[in-house]
Amino acid sequence: MDESEDVPKDFINLKSEKLSVDEVSELVISPYCGAVSLFIGTTRNNFEGKKVIHLEYEAYTSMAETEIKKICRDVRQKWPSVKHIAVHHRLGVVPITEASVIIAVSSPHRAESLEAVMYCINTLKASVPIWKKEIYEDEYSWKENKECFWANSEK
Amino acid sequence: QVSVLYFARSAELAGLRCETLWVPRQITSLQLWEEIVKVHPRLAVIRDQVVFAVRQEYVLLGDQLLVLQSGDEVAIIPPISGG
Repeated sequence: MDESEDVPKDFINLKSEKLSVDEVSELVISPYCGAVSLFIGTTRNNFEGKKVIHLEYEAYTSMAETEIKKICRDVRQKWPSVKHIAVHHRLGVVPITEASVIIAVSSPHRAESLEAVMYCINTLKASVPIWKKEIYEDEYSWKENKECFWANSEK
Repeated sequence: QVSVLYFARSAELAGLRCETLWVPRQITSLQLWEEIVKVHPRLAVIRDQVVFAVRQEYVLLGDQLLVLQSGDEVAIIPPISGG
């Protein structure tokens, strides 16, 4: 068994096509890992009583990729046994119930990959320059993550 | 001469996504904001909600002195909502 052949990799993709859970899981699967943990962020159909028609995402793509790479680097420092990390985020129009983001992490044992996935999504929401617009029947709204460190807390 | 990028609500208020602006080589982040608002007054309403990304590093609006080079990217970053 030569684990040096299975070099840890980060798979980062921002794209407008529909995301695939199968594709993202397969990216991180490794024969040296007994655990793959996944987070899928999906689109809800309502917000404060208003019907959400769909979401639209835009990104400062080059910086978003750099910030996600920083998150991956931090994950590997905190959980050195983590093997592969995949972060796929959809851009453009995302219909209700479809995934906007899928994060997958593999590790030899489950604790690290579960914790790393949670860290990835929480940190992504705090630091990656991606914006979501909720489209309602009569209006729309640019959303603001509460994790965003510079936003006004009063809304 | 820097490239200013506008995103989300700031792009709607400014009416564009990208432009070249002439600014002093050394300028505080707050002064830079004020230069941009001179060109796009409608941006004033989001002043308390935005930060900059200068060469892809976040910078709060304030006294921080920026040393800019020609061609640098400066982005207006409204509150983010990824994930």
